[in-house]
Amino acid sequence: MNAQPLITLDGVSIRHDEATRATPADVSFEVRPGEVVLLLGPSGCGKSTLALALDGLIPHAVPATLEGTVRVAGLETSAHTVAELSEHVAMVFQDPDAQVVTGTLLDEVCFGPENQLVAASEVLERAERALKLVGLWDRRTDNPDVLSGGGRQRLAVACALALAAPVLVLDEPTANLDPAGIDEVYAVLRELASERDHAIVLVEHNLDAAVDIVDRVVVLDASGRLVIDGPAREVLQQRADELLELGVWLPVSTLAAMRLRAAGVTLSPLPLNPAELAAALDAVDVLPSPLLAPPGTDAARSRMVASSAEARPDASELAGATDVTAPAPAIRVRDCSVRRGGRRGPVVVDGVDLDVASGDFLAIVGTNGAGKTTLLQAIAGVIPAPRGSIDVLGMDPSRADARARARQIGFVFQNPEHQFVAHTVAEELELGLRLQGVDEATRHAEVERMLARFDLVEHRDRHPFLLSGGQKRRLSVGTALVAGAPVLALDEPTFGQDRARASELLDILGGLNAEGTTVLVVTHDLQLVADHASHVAVMRDGRLLGAGPTAEVLAGPLVEEAGLRHPPLARATRGLAGHPEWHAVTRMSQLPVGDRAIA
Amino acid sequence: MSAATPGTAPTPTPPTPTPVTPTTPATPTPAAQTTPATPATGAAGPASVVRDPYAEQAPVSGIRFLHHLNPLAKFAAPLPVMLALIFTRGVAIPLAFIVLALGLLVIGARLSGRALAALLLGVPAAILVLGFSFGIWVDPARIEGASAAASVVIFAIGDWQFTLAAYLVGLATALRITALLMLSLLAGLTTSGPELVRALVQNLRVPYRIGYTALAALRFVPRFGHELEVIRAAHRVRGTDAGRGPVAAVRRTIATAIPLLASAIRHAERVALAMDARAFGAHATRTERTISRWRVRDTAFVVAFWVVSAAIYWWALQAGLGGVTPDRTEVGL
Repeated sequence: MNAQPLITLDGVSIRHDEATRATPADVSFEVRPGEVVLLLGPSGCGKSTLALALDGLIPHAVPATLEGTVRVAGLETSAHTVAELSEHVAMVFQDPDAQVVTGTLLDEVCFGPENQLVAASEVLERAERALKLVGLWDRRTDNPDVLSGGGRQRLAVACALALAAPVLVLDEPTANLDPAGIDEVYAVLRELASERDHAIVLVEHNLDAAVDIVDRVVVLDASGRLVIDGPAREVLQQRADELLELGVWLPVSTLAAMRLRAAGVTLSPLPLNPAELAAALDAVDVLPSPLLAPPGTDAARSRMVASSAEARPDASELAGATDVTAPAPAIRVRDCSVRRGGRRGPVVVDGVDLDVASGDFLAIVGTNGAGKTTLLQAIAGVIPAPRGSIDVLGMDPSRADARARARQIGFVFQNPEHQFVAHTVAEELELGLRLQGVDEATRHAEVERMLARFDLVEHRDRHPFLLSGGQKRRLSVGTALVAGAPVLALDEPTFGQDRARASELLDILGGLNAEGTTVLVVTHDLQLVADHASHVAVMRDGRLLGAGPTAEVLAGPLVEEAGLRHPPLARATRGLAGHPEWHAVTRMSQLPVGDRAIA
Repeated sequence: MSAATPGTAPTPTPPTPTPVTPTTPATPTPAAQTTPATPATGAAGPASVVRDPYAEQAPVSGIRFLHHLNPLAKFAAPLPVMLALIFTRGVAIPLAFIVLALGLLVIGARLSGRALAALLLGVPAAILVLGFSFGIWVDPARIEGASAAASVVIFAIGDWQFTLAAYLVGLATALRITALLMLSLLAGLTTSGPELVRALVQNLRVPYRIGYTALAALRFVPRFGHELEVIRAAHRVRGTDAGRGPVAAVRRTIATAIPLLASAIRHAERVALAMDARAFGAHATRTERTISRWRVRDTAFVVAFWVVSAAIYWWALQAGLGGVTPDRTEVGL
C-alpha cells in the first residue's frame, strides 16, 4: 500500500458554471494501487463531480472550473487531454444506455483500445480478457441492446478494463439497475477487488451492496468538504452517528443496529451486512419483543383477493381471509391480460385478478419484464385493457376520457419531465383543473393549496424543467392529484435516485396515504416496500403470484418464487436461531424503539 | 468518388493490417468480410429477427458476390446511371435497369424469402399503382395530341379523360423512381453500417471522427422513438391531447418536442462523455481491426456495370425507345 499514488488530489474545488458555490471544496486525498475507495456524501455534495475530475473530463469536457490540482500517474489533468489520461483512469457511468457506441459487444470493448492506437492483435487480446472477466465472452457477437441493464453495465466495466488503466472509477454504477442487475455488477466488482490489479474508486449510495468490497471510505459533507478519510469498516462502525448526521445513508443492517441501540440493545461492533446483524442478534441472549402488529389487525386488513390462473394454496387462504364486512374495493382487476405492441405482440400481463381496497398502499414487485409496469398502466388507463377487466371506483379506465380518468386516478411516469406541458409550475397544476372545467376562483385556491402541500410555493413561476430532481418529482405527484383523484399510481418512482431522495418521496406518499389516498407503486426496492407499503402484489412472467399484507407476503415464499431477494432486514431476521419471534421483522418500524428513534 | 477510380491500392492507415482471431490461431481470413468474431456466431444469444443495421454479416457463399464487394464499389457503380436516369425519358431504359438490378440482387445478394417476394411481386405492383397515380396528375395539354396513344381513352369521368398516353407518362415516371430505388438497394441490402463506415474512413479518407460519431448517432433513433411514445402517453394522461385540427396538432407536437429535446440533449452529452473517457478522438487515426480493401473484383464490378449501362443506353437510344433531356419538366415517353 506504500507504492506511488496513482491519483493525487490537492486542494481540489470544482464549481459548475451555473452553480454559485464549489462542490467539492478543497478536497485532498490519494488513491494507491490495488485500493478500493468508496466516496460517500449527502446528495449534492459533489461526489459525481469529483469522479469526473479524476480522468480529466472536468475541466476538459464539462463546463466547470477546477481549482487545485489533480494528478493522475504524475500527470496534471488540466495540462493533459482526456485521451492521454484514459490510459491511466477508466470510467464507468451511471446510465448503461448512454455508454454504448457500436453494434456488437466485441466492437464495443475494442472501441477504447482502438482509439488509443493499440495494435489490432493486442486490442483483441484485451477485449477477450475483459469480456471473459465479466462473463460476456460467449455473447460477443450480440447487439448490446439485447442485454439486460445489468449485462450492459457489466459490458461498460469490460470496456473500462480494456483500456488497461490501473484505476477504475465507477460513478453510481448500479443506480439504474434492478436487484438482479446490482448483484451481477457487484459480483464482477468483487472479483476485480479481490484481484488487486486495479485501484477502484466507487461513488455509490447503495451501501448494502458496496460495503463488503471497499477498503477505505472518503466522506464529503453537504458543502463538499472532506470530513472523514479512513478504513471502511472502522469508519462505518465507529463514526456511524457522525455519518448519519451528515446525511449519508448507511447499510440497512447498521441502521437497524443503531435503532436497537437506542432501545437498549447494544450490538458491538456495529454490523455492516445482514449476516453480521443476524450473528450479532443471535449472540444477544434476550431481545425485547419486536413491535409486530397484533395478529388480528393484519388479518382484518387483508382484504385483497389474490389468485392467479393457477390458484395457489396460500393465495386461496388469503382469499379466504377476505372478510365479508370489507368495503367494496377501490380497484378491481378481473382476468386482465394485456399484449404489448398490438394484437400480435407478446402477452405481458396474463390473467391477473387483483382487488385493492380504498386506502391501501400497494407495491407491485417483480423482476424486470414481470409485467408490473404494464399492469399499472392498464389500471390507470395509460394503455388499453380488455373491456370490463378493470374497474377503478366504478370507471373502466380504458373506456373513460382523460377528464373522467383524471378525477379517479392519477398516474406518475418514471421520468417526471415527460409529463410536463406548461411553462410554469402554477400553470402545470392549473391545467388539470382547467380540464375539469373548474371556475377560476376555485382553481386559484386549489393551486395555492397544492403548491403549499408539495412545498413548491416559492417556485410557482419557474419553468418545470428548471426545478431540482426532487421538486420535479413532487410537482408530478401534485399534477396527478390536483383533479381530486383518490387513487395515485406511480411507475418506479425511486428509479435512479439516491436513498435520501427516494425516502423523501416515500414519506410524501406515506402522508398522502394517511390522508386517505390509495397509492399504487411499481418498484424493485424491497426495503422501501417493507418500510412503507401496506400491501404487496408479487408478479412473475406476467402472472400475479399472489398479493396480501406486506408482512405476510415478505414472510412467505412468494418473494423468492418471483426471483427476487428479500430486503436486507428480512434477510437478517429470517435466519435467527435464538429469536423465532423476530422472524417476521421486515421493516424498521417493527424494531423496538427507545427514547430516540433513528429511522 | 476518388476511391472509385480503378486501381486504387488498398492503403491501410494503422499498423498491423492482419486481423487476428483471439481464440483460434490467426486464420488467413478467406474474405475481408469475415470478421474475427464470426467463428462464434450463434454460440449464444438469440438471433434478432429484425434486421440489425450493425450486425456483421455472416459468411456467405461465393455466388452472393454483392456481399464480397467493397461498399464503395456498390455505390460507385450505379451512381452515374442514377444521375442519368433523372434526365431520361421513356419506359424502356428504366425498365432495363430495374431488371438488371433485380437480377443482380437475386443472384448476388442473400435475401430472405420475404425480401425476395417483396422484390419480385411488390415492385411490379408498386410500379403499376404509382404509374396510375402519376398518370392522373399529368397535364393533358402537354401530351402530344397527335400520338396514337392520346386517342385511346382508358376511362372518362365527365369531360376529363384518362388516356393511354397519360398512363404511359405516369408509368415512365414510376419506372424512373423505381429504378433509382432498385439501384440504391444494390448497396443498401448488402452492406452493414460498420462496413460502410470502415470503407468511407479507410478507402475514401472520411475523418473517422465523423464516421464513427454517425454510427453512434444511429443508436439514438430507436431510443428516441421509444421515448416519444412514452411522452405521448404521458401527455394523454394529462389530457392535453384534446382538440382536433391542425392548430391543436402543432401545439401537441411542440409540447412533446420539449421533453424529447431535453432528454435527447442530456443523452447525447452522456454518450459524448463516455466516448471521451474512452479516448475517442485522441489520435489522427485509430486502429482498424478489419481492413476494408479495394480489390480487383471491385474495379471489375464497377467497370462491368458501367459498360453494361452504357450498352443499355446506346441500344435504347439507337432503337428510339427513349430520350435523354436536360429539361426535367418535359413530358415524354
